[in-house]
Amino acid sequence: MANINIDSQKDRTYDAIVIGSGISGGWSAKELCEKGLKTLVLERGRDVKHIKDYPTTNMNPWEFEHRNEMPYAIKQENPIVSKCYAFHEDAAHFFVKDKEHPYVQDKPFDWIRGYQVGGKSLLWARQTQRWSDFDFEGPARDGFAVDWPIRYADLKPWYDYVEKFAGIAGDKDGLPELPDGEFLPGYPLNMVEKYFKQSVSSQYPERKVISARCAHLSKPNQIHFDQGRVQCQNRTLCQRGCPFGGYFSSNAVTLPWAAKTGNMTLRPFSVVHSILYDEQRGKAVGVRVIDTNTKEEIDFYARIIFVNAAAINTNLILLNSKSNRFPNGLGNDSGVLGKYVAFHNYSARIYAEYEGLQDYTTEGRNPAGGGYIPRFRNLHKQETDFLRGYAAGFGAYRGTSADRSGAGESLKNNLLNPKLGNWQVGSHMMGETIPKESGQVTLDTKKTDDWGVPLLHIAVDYDDNDAKMKKDYLDTMEDMFKTAGFTNIRRDDGSQAPGLDIHEMGGARMGLDPKTSMLNKWNQIHSVPNVFVTDGAAMTSTSTQNPSLTYMAFSARAVDYALAEMKKGNL
Amino acid sequence: MMNRRTLVKQLFIIAGGIAILPSCLREQGGASIVLQNIKLSASDEDFLAKLAEIVIPKTDSPGGLELNLHLFVMKMVDDCESPENQQVFVKGMQALKDNSESQTSEQLLTSITALEGHKEGDEAAFFKIFKNRTIQGYLNSEYVMKNKLIYKLIPGPYQAAVKLKA
Repeated sequence: MANINIDSQKDRTYDAIVIGSGISGGWSAKELCEKGLKTLVLERGRDVKHIKDYPTTNMNPWEFEHRNEMPYAIKQENPIVSKCYAFHEDAAHFFVKDKEHPYVQDKPFDWIRGYQVGGKSLLWARQTQRWSDFDFEGPARDGFAVDWPIRYADLKPWYDYVEKFAGIAGDKDGLPELPDGEFLPGYPLNMVEKYFKQSVSSQYPERKVISARCAHLSKPNQIHFDQGRVQCQNRTLCQRGCPFGGYFSSNAVTLPWAAKTGNMTLRPFSVVHSILYDEQRGKAVGVRVIDTNTKEEIDFYARIIFVNAAAINTNLILLNSKSNRFPNGLGNDSGVLGKYVAFHNYSARIYAEYEGLQDYTTEGRNPAGGGYIPRFRNLHKQETDFLRGYAAGFGAYRGTSADRSGAGESLKNNLLNPKLGNWQVGSHMMGETIPKESGQVTLDTKKTDDWGVPLLHIAVDYDDNDAKMKKDYLDTMEDMFKTAGFTNIRRDDGSQAPGLDIHEMGGARMGLDPKTSMLNKWNQIHSVPNVFVTDGAAMTSTSTQNPSLTYMAFSARAVDYALAEMKKGNL
Repeated sequence: MMNRRTLVKQLFIIAGGIAILPSCLREQGGASIVLQNIKLSASDEDFLAKLAEIVIPKTDSPGGLELNLHLFVMKMVDDCESPENQQVFVKGMQALKDNSESQTSEQLLTSITALEGHKEGDEAAFFKIFKNRTIQGYLNSEYVMKNKLIYKLIPGPYQAAVKLKA
């Protein structure tokens, strides 16, 4: 009885299959369904319905068993995910636990994952900066990776398109290195952030401090109300899932929209084993899935397939999709699949205090998090002994503190009457890393996971360029902090491994030449034209900007292209 | 007829999210909450309650005892501290308890205040953990967050430039 629907191949055939339901998969699903294609969306984890499945979203701090602190035993059992800043009692249920999904670290790499409907779109830090030609022209100008097959002009209309729907708050800053978009009102900088902005620009006119752009509904438009969302309430409890739909997630935005068309079939608990390739027809015909509840192997079929499993898992699926035609992974004629995996260097921070502006403070919470410093290093030309550069976050808040010495009535009184202290300021680096052939993910030849999928090896590391860039970031920020009169400056060149930035990219890169890349300018596999990859795996280089907005734009653009090709009979 | 849910609810006193079993454990000389890793007796619990009330005394607002901060400390040490810290917590507490048996609350206050100056020794290590956890429990208690330092789940618009009154 239960399997009646999957007994016939016809019932397992769709117009399109989307692998993954995170930020990019949600967009692929929405676009495909809206354009009338019967679409199967496969998600390896459980379902998470908007609002209904956000169990902690309205909890007060005292309602958490350990006041949001993770118990010692859980931290010991999960050393990797415990390093993630958002892994606390309020959101732990949205993170993959180390033991449940092992992988092999050939080099230290903290792989942070969210296996559920919506994926990491529930958990992301929501920073949404466009990439520019300073990014897309980077590899060609500086001689690394391969040239991007697109430029900003190719993506601009699609940034416009996804921003209007997703809702992006930001100011129009008029910076060519960080193009303006279709913004809702930006969040204001506070007094010290503004002061720092002025201090920096008076000393270094080419360096800008702007309000960070983020996927929050600062002032929703009709399209957002139509999605069932309302204004962001500035709770900054986003990682729990937002009952207001105040920030963009697949769960709140794209997936419900796709479902409304009646064209989406969402199938959770479906681990994709591989993509099925038909040698006679010379194209992919479907996807092999392991049902995680029954361990049953089921094949689904479609005319086109979108791979949106998140960068590293997309590599894993393609590598595991072997056939006589593609013995080294689907579409891997070039041999570059799984290589040139890179990330963002988030390994340095710097903190200080400011003793001025004592007559000001802030109230409430800023969803944008504060300021953003777009890349200025090596922007127009090569200036340093390292390639590329970094963007930086910058934020200030007015600290309060209480004298905690002693015990008794005086202590109690002190605790209940905290005093405003100096402004506390902080910055973190977001460095571009250079994709290298040695930055690889590979499949284990013997060991498999619980679903018979080979275990993944990750060998991605920092290099000398990253070390030099980190030093420059710290020196430069320290200098700007000193110029601004900040005191008690503390450099933190933390030793975090790659991965914790949660911006892993590449492995199935785009390029002009099929001999050196996996995907063409439409995110289409060169040699398997009915398979598209529009998540982080497609990235040729890493830029300094957060990548998610670009994945959204790539997804919408690739669906538009795929539809046109289907109409022409090419797919 | 009382429904089962109401009945079960009445068996527990919920103190800041900690379910207390009021009688059965204590009647056997144990602590009143379930502990997985550390062993504390009813009299240890009484001592911690006395300490919690000394650190955060009742004034015109509730103190450590009424807010069950000692139970919070026990729960947090049991679940969130490392085995090394758990060991030193129990050892240091035992020593302080033994050494202060005949002390009044005022004398005990003097003793623990003196402990803050000590960098070494089990008693000082115990008291450091105890005090930090007590303060954590106090500041994150429903009482303080609703009545004193008010926590708002929805804080209202972000105001970036609030001028302070001179």
